[in-house]
Amino acid sequence: MLQPHSLIWHYLWVAPNVLLLTLGFLLFRRRIYKRYPAFLTFVILGAIAQLTIYIADVSPAIDPKTWWYLFWAGLLVEGTIKFFLIGEIFEVTFQDYHSIARLSRILIRSVGVGLVLASAVLAGIAPQDGRFGIVSGAHLLEEAIYLVESGLLVFFFLFSAHFKLALSRPIYGIALGLAVSACVHLATWAILTNGGLPNSQRTILDLLNMATYHVCVLIWFYYLLVPGRVATKSIVSVPEHSLEVWNQELERLLHQ
Amino acid sequence: MTLAIVLVIVAAVSLAVILRLAVSRSLQVSAGTSPAGQIQPLDIAAFRNLTNPSEDQYLRRRLPSAEFRRVRRERLRAMSSYVQVAGKNAAVLVKIGQTALASDNANTSEAAHQLVDQALLLRRNCAFALIRIHMALAWPFPNEAAAPILRGYEQLNGCTLLLTRLQNPAAPVHISANW
Repeated sequence: MLQPHSLIWHYLWVAPNVLLLTLGFLLFRRRIYKRYPAFLTFVILGAIAQLTIYIADVSPAIDPKTWWYLFWAGLLVEGTIKFFLIGEIFEVTFQDYHSIARLSRILIRSVGVGLVLASAVLAGIAPQDGRFGIVSGAHLLEEAIYLVESGLLVFFFLFSAHFKLALSRPIYGIALGLAVSACVHLATWAILTNGGLPNSQRTILDLLNMATYHVCVLIWFYYLLVPGRVATKSIVSVPEHSLEVWNQELERLLHQ
Repeated sequence: MTLAIVLVIVAAVSLAVILRLAVSRSLQVSAGTSPAGQIQPLDIAAFRNLTNPSEDQYLRRRLPSAEFRRVRRERLRAMSSYVQVAGKNAAVLVKIGQTALASDNANTSEAAHQLVDQALLLRRNCAFALIRIHMALAWPFPNEAAAPILRGYEQLNGCTLLLTRLQNPAAPVHISANW
């Protein structure tokens, strides 16, 4: 059952991408895409890239070398869009707050550069697995992309948590899905790239990646299409003691 | 294989951090309690005394240098506690401001936005001030790290009063008996 070209393998490769295309269509119809253009691009192009690679995989007309070229192309497209998407997550969350917008931009760039350097070093010291360059290179690139992606997303969650900023429901859902997917993929690609596993055990990790991605697509469906609870607009009362202290300060400032 | 193990541990820790933050966010949303009760009172007069450079100069003139260094460390530790409280209060005000951001009233929404922006600025400055205070603890040099915190806290005052009044004009906001 847990083999390449088993029923579950076909399902886990095709279903999340069909769901993603459906999500893209629904986002377009509900005009949600206007706020999150990079996410819509990721949803549509990511799904098309994955389905193209799937068709190439099951088609006998495609030879292995062509398949790996397609895989590389899909990887580069998906990786590029993901970084634009992470930029969009930061922009949408922090752009309205001038006091931390600039700091967030400086920090995300610094963290991004640091992570790219770290992934380049890791790729340099990774052991040679004896496979063709086109295969091991793709594995290393996957590992590097997921390392940078998961690092940036952890930073995003920590940064917004430090400032106690409540994330909007769609941004929270997009970031959570991406982060879960990135962390699980980072772990599996690290083992696939550096672990020296036999092919039979590699399939289990492939299936784990696909299943995780399926869960993440469902997370995006839930957070982008299911409306959240309406926040109660209750009047906020600040404790008396604070107002007293602040009032004294205000009075002092006005009399200076 | 060692590299794979290191990366798997990094990925697992990252996932745990993200899921922990996600769960705490969900718990906060479902609890729906007002965060205002979490504000801690801050003695601004004492805080101002600690951040006043002339106080430092006075102590330097009056005390033997060993005694002055001890007192200065004590003052820096106290300053650190005040800055931490100011930072926590700023975080509470971010939450309070964000609940009012979606208000139908444009003035309330604008006041809430100003409050959140000021509170974020204060929280950011608190983080920097704490770093500088701890550096001053390790290496003595003239330190005015907490002065911007005091100014920021005073600016928050106005934003909070404005938001509270806009949300509830009938609320007894005590400006002063003299007014």
